[in-house]
Amino acid sequence: MTDRTLRLYAVVIAALVFCIAWAVVAARPWATTKTDPRLVALAVREQRLRADAKLVRQIVDQRTATYKTALAVRQAQNTAARSLAAVQASGPAVRVVNLPPLTITKSS
Amino acid sequence: MLRRTFTAMGTEVEALLDAPESADAASALDRVEADFERLEQLLSRFRPNSELSRLNSEGRLDSASPDLVRVLELALEARDDTGGLFDPTVHDALVAAGYDRSFDALAERREAPAQGAACGGAVRIDGTTIELESGTRVDLGGIGKGYAVDRACDLLALAGPCLVNAGGDLAVRGGTWPVGVTDDVTLELSHGAMATSGRDRRRWLAAGEERHHLIDPVTGKPAQSEFLRVTVVAESATAAEVLAKAAFLGADVDVPRVLVTEDGRTILAGGLS
Repeated sequence: MTDRTLRLYAVVIAALVFCIAWAVVAARPWATTKTDPRLVALAVREQRLRADAKLVRQIVDQRTATYKTALAVRQAQNTAARSLAAVQASGPAVRVVNLPPLTITKSS
Repeated sequence: MLRRTFTAMGTEVEALLDAPESADAASALDRVEADFERLEQLLSRFRPNSELSRLNSEGRLDSASPDLVRVLELALEARDDTGGLFDPTVHDALVAAGYDRSFDALAERREAPAQGAACGGAVRIDGTTIELESGTRVDLGGIGKGYAVDRACDLLALAGPCLVNAGGDLAVRGGTWPVGVTDDVTLELSHGAMATSGRDRRRWLAAGEERHHLIDPVTGKPAQSEFLRVTVVAESATAAEVLAKAAFLGADVDVPRVLVTEDGRTILAGGLS
């Protein structure tokens, strides 16, 4: 091996060592990890919003269920009222019976 | 069967509801009672602060309630339909006949002056403004009760088949309801309404004469009639109230009806047998 070849190896190794040293210095392994308080506050806020959203979802689901139940009852009442109105449109229905009266009519 | 009775509009009101006992049923019955009170506060001529009393005392009412306007419209339509046999402007004739206070108070007085008074005054309705011709006052006692019965039935029908009876004016929604008309006649009503007009109740003495509350608008005095009482069946209690009065005064109304003559005979007419 000639001197020239040795010198070339030495230069390459020196460049490699320099790059590794540069990378180590750039990584600053000696610096302690310090969390940004704004990020912490943001994370806390996100957690709270997620909890609030869950609560709101529960309330909305509950109210939707109540509304749907009430709607079904109301629709049934409307159907019954429409049926009754259809029957009533044909005029009053009355007949003489031999039954004990539930109530009486008298001069008003 | 749920039954609620209470006093309103000078009579006993009975509400029957064919439904199991529940909070909804109780609430529906409460609404009926409250609605009677609300309407009485609007339509009574015996309450000095009612809308009707203000109309009668001032001759004009702006911003009248929809209920007062509607009942008055119905009464005026009835006046046209019956050729004046039914007339809401009989207020002064009733007062002149001695019916100037609630019937309970009247019964205590026993005697009252006997006079007549003109009926048939003009009533103008423009939106929510009501105007009476000078010297005209309105009584909505009978038709107001019929209107209240119809409304009460509509409210109660949401909770089940029902009957509302206000001193003889009654209406049903759903179900079948046997209603006693006389000692011998019971009518089963499936839908519609019934009303009775007669001079066998709400009568008093005036100058030694027996008087009653059914005014003949032609004479302005308590009507002379061959009937003691007339019961008619119609689609609504409001219509039945009008037709009963017209039939009592001799109109030939074409509806199922039961007529009781002065000598006690009972006549079934209008398809009843």
